[in-house]
Amino acid sequence: MLLQTVFLAFFGLAAIWFAVVVFRTSSMVRSALALLFSQAAIGTMFLAMQTEFLGVLQIMMMATEMAIMAIFMVMYMMDPGGLSGMDMTHQKRVSIAAGVLGTAVAVGTALLVDWGPIAGVPRPGAQVHDLGIELMERSMLIFETAGVTILTAMVATTAIAIGPRGPRGGVDD
Amino acid sequence: MSALLAIVALLAGAYFVAVLEGWASTGRFRPAGPVLAGLSLLGRESVVPRRPDRIFFEVAPPLLLASAVLAAAVLPLAPGLIVADLATGALFVNAALAYVMVALLMAGWGPDGAYAMVGGFRFLGQLVAYSMLIVMPVTAVAMRAESLTTTEVVASQAPLPNALYQPVGFAVFLVAAMAVCFLPPFDLPTAPGELAGGVMAEYTGWRLAMMRLARAVLVVTLASSIAVFYLGGWLGPLLPPWAWTAAKTLAVAAAMLFVGRYVPRVREADLLAWCWKIGIPLALFNIFFVGVLLLVV
Amino acid sequence: MSGPSKAPANARADAEAGAEAALSGAREARPSLLRRLVSRAGARDLCAFVVPGPEVARARGLGLRAAGLSVSATPRHANVLVVVGELPVGLREAAVVAYAQMPRPRAVLAAGAADVSPLPGPDVSADAAEESLAAGVARLRRLFAGGAFAPEAEAFEVAALGSRTEYACPMHPEVVREEPGTCPKCGMELVEREAADGGEQGDPEDAHQGHDHQGDGRTHEEDMHHDDHAHHGEGDEHGGANHADHGSMDHGDMGFMSMVKMTRGTPRSSDGLQMEWVEAPFGPLLPGLPGGLSVTFTLDGDTVAEARANSAVGRRQDPRGPVEEFVERFARLDPLSPVSYRLLALHAVEDAVGAGARDEGALARVGALERERAASHLNWLAGFGHLLGYRWLARRAEELQLALLRAEAGGIPPIRAEVRKLARRVERTSLLRRRLAGVGIILADPAGASGPVARAGGRGADSRADEEAYLTLGFEPVVQEGGDALARLRVRLAEAQRSLGLVTRAGGISGAIPVPDAGASGRGAAALETPRGSANLRVKLEDGEVTGADLETPSAAQTRLVGAVTEGREVADALVGVASLDIAPWGVIGEAPREAAG
Repeated sequence: MLLQTVFLAFFGLAAIWFAVVVFRTSSMVRSALALLFSQAAIGTMFLAMQTEFLGVLQIMMMATEMAIMAIFMVMYMMDPGGLSGMDMTHQKRVSIAAGVLGTAVAVGTALLVDWGPIAGVPRPGAQVHDLGIELMERSMLIFETAGVTILTAMVATTAIAIGPRGPRGGVDD
Repeated sequence: MSALLAIVALLAGAYFVAVLEGWASTGRFRPAGPVLAGLSLLGRESVVPRRPDRIFFEVAPPLLLASAVLAAAVLPLAPGLIVADLATGALFVNAALAYVMVALLMAGWGPDGAYAMVGGFRFLGQLVAYSMLIVMPVTAVAMRAESLTTTEVVASQAPLPNALYQPVGFAVFLVAAMAVCFLPPFDLPTAPGELAGGVMAEYTGWRLAMMRLARAVLVVTLASSIAVFYLGGWLGPLLPPWAWTAAKTLAVAAAMLFVGRYVPRVREADLLAWCWKIGIPLALFNIFFVGVLLLVV
Repeated sequence: MSGPSKAPANARADAEAGAEAALSGAREARPSLLRRLVSRAGARDLCAFVVPGPEVARARGLGLRAAGLSVSATPRHANVLVVVGELPVGLREAAVVAYAQMPRPRAVLAAGAADVSPLPGPDVSADAAEESLAAGVARLRRLFAGGAFAPEAEAFEVAALGSRTEYACPMHPEVVREEPGTCPKCGMELVEREAADGGEQGDPEDAHQGHDHQGDGRTHEEDMHHDDHAHHGEGDEHGGANHADHGSMDHGDMGFMSMVKMTRGTPRSSDGLQMEWVEAPFGPLLPGLPGGLSVTFTLDGDTVAEARANSAVGRRQDPRGPVEEFVERFARLDPLSPVSYRLLALHAVEDAVGAGARDEGALARVGALERERAASHLNWLAGFGHLLGYRWLARRAEELQLALLRAEAGGIPPIRAEVRKLARRVERTSLLRRRLAGVGIILADPAGASGPVARAGGRGADSRADEEAYLTLGFEPVVQEGGDALARLRVRLAEAQRSLGLVTRAGGISGAIPVPDAGASGRGAAALETPRGSANLRVKLEDGEVTGADLETPSAAQTRLVGAVTEGREVADALVGVASLDIAPWGVIGEAPREAAG
């Protein structure tokens, strides 16, 4: 229990620290990858909380997602290397207010809600099994529709983005 | 103790792969090749480009090594001989391999150079191509094993290895595995002829040694994952289990390394087109096919 | 690895290069046991970077791999700089940059030339012949084992590669000052950055600089000659390129500048993504392109928007001199096809003298010329295979080319059979067809290229078709349709096979022609089909001395084709297109060697 708390605290602080780096740096790529590591820290927090599947999934997804985000940042913003000291924060007062409010809500929810007694944690193998059964029984409709919708959206986005075909040797041959 | 043995086995495997890679690329079989190359690299000065992104430049080689080792940590050599027998082992392999891409992106961006940058972003395109194909066949494998645990995946292949049970998935996973460890013909990030070394171009000295080691470990990890997921891991008559695993892993690694000699490097556009237009439908078909087999047979 | 060294060319040099000698590029450290171990390991793991290029080494019959050197793609991974032949004036700077980028301990091996200034004096000199090279490599190994670490090692400073600080406006990159201040155009603070010392560079665009070592010998990346551009974000559809430093430092003044605004109005590339245009040089020592050819792409994302090619090694020959000297100088004009140019000079001189073709040697001359053509095509194929990442092809073509150069007339038929097998195998590789089809396509050719490039586009001009000797041997030009890289590959493979057939039928190989006597005068002209196209030469003789010569090579026209072959293509395809033209940068005549600011 103590070890678990230590790990949780450590990775939680790491997540917060990386998140701060996201805004303190002026390099776009560093910002994106700092966000990646922040999310990965959250994933390890999940692992520390013994939700193995969720943790592994979080770690895996965030790596790919944040890297793609890094490309988009480089693509649309100037100075991705941050050499001109650009400031990453915008609308400072509103952001600070939103941040404080969000923290208050989160902490309040965590402390004031009655979460009930601490449940016994099933073994990871059993967790995966239960997750699978849940997906296939109660939540099947939700996940099926979500999955198909996402796939359709991906295909449609790509189809819209492709312009008229150029001579062979162009990039979207 | 078993963790230590597994690590030693991993390093030994990486050494063999390095020898095989040297043989495949130069045509000469030099058993002492990696030792000489490693010592020689350690003796060279380590050059840092003038205005690198220092954090990325330094972190990329260790991250590449760490992700390869982590992925290998959940793959069994023999029943009980595994570093960490996670319940979500099959998924964890992919999670760790995703950081290969992060490492190469860092290696591309860090050195502040055109060729490294092109290599890094090309690998990102390669990721878009292979990322589906490295996950979906594993789904089908897990379906058969009814578990994500790697040891159970191997145990489920006792009647028939997955390479025969789901050959389509096997082929797709093999291609995707070669793309993950950027072996020729998928060596877009490090194209020696076009990009003068690409992402590895700016590394010298001990950092280059670490990158090359990481690359060899990555190849072993992927070969081992193919052996575990598709070839039945330690199952087999006569020989002790660890010998079977070793033999299968090295055979797969040799196949991956030697195939690349005989094929030109793939074009990025072609790779993306084939993976998405052919690869993903095949992977979906594979899942469907395995599902039918499991329910009916 | 290295075989037993044959009788060394310089036994005395062997004794001199004892364990005490240090490499010119030794690493500064006191030798110790561990370091000695490391040096020995390094001696067995020699990795070479070849200047001007591996194709020149192959054209001279040097098998670097057989001598024990592995060839590396980048100087950073190499520890030996191999200079094949004389170091051309235009490549001196590039060679120096490449050397400075090699991590120490490093050495210079000069194969075929004694003086490689401004590089540090060659650690080992060898003749451009196989045994001498092997002996040289053995000496080099001993030097490495003994002298890789030295207590006092000289730093290698190159004046042209120093850097200085300057200040530029982020919004207006052309405004550059030596001291901090404000921009006269927009009033913004000038941002500090480093720039190369060698004079004003073409268009210093941003604060991202080229690469350097820390500490000793600051250098640039050799393939990006004097490059001030760093972040060339390129890649696939998702790749981004962002380059200029227009970042707003002060939000109040500037507002937010986005890529969308900056790229408004620039033409869209074929993938529809508007990016900022970035210049990226490739060459002159890029391993995939002919050595000496430097191509600058203006990239739009990863599509080539514009391309410029020039040669660092072509130079105008001073033609005057006695006839024998003239002929020999011509032979050295292009190390990739010396026999062709020698024969061209001889034919022109003969024509001036009025000697006419000598029948008894005609067939042997055809044999020599055709052998060189086949060897040249195989040489090109080896380099092309390396560019494509097709390692088997690169290896096999190199083996066959070296065997062909060393073979006597009787040894040609087996090589011909092997080449036929190679061609069949290449034809069967469908992935290669897929890779090359449609790449580098030239539909109409106003530049008037000749040679395999023209014949691959359906224009069957070939100077050999008119010559008597060829007609008696039954010659027909090889013509393909398509005009793309695949067609050029097929043309060259077919030509190589036919050339070997011609050699077999000619029965002898001899490029030697007795030079006409002194004292002759007149004007003459000759045309010859070099492996890359037809070359024309006009000479004017006076009293046995050549007083004027006018040479046209196929390289100039091919260089003009680079734009057509690359524009609108992805970078990798553009490089393949340029390589498929098989340009010999040595033949681009008329450029003065570029000075340091080039």
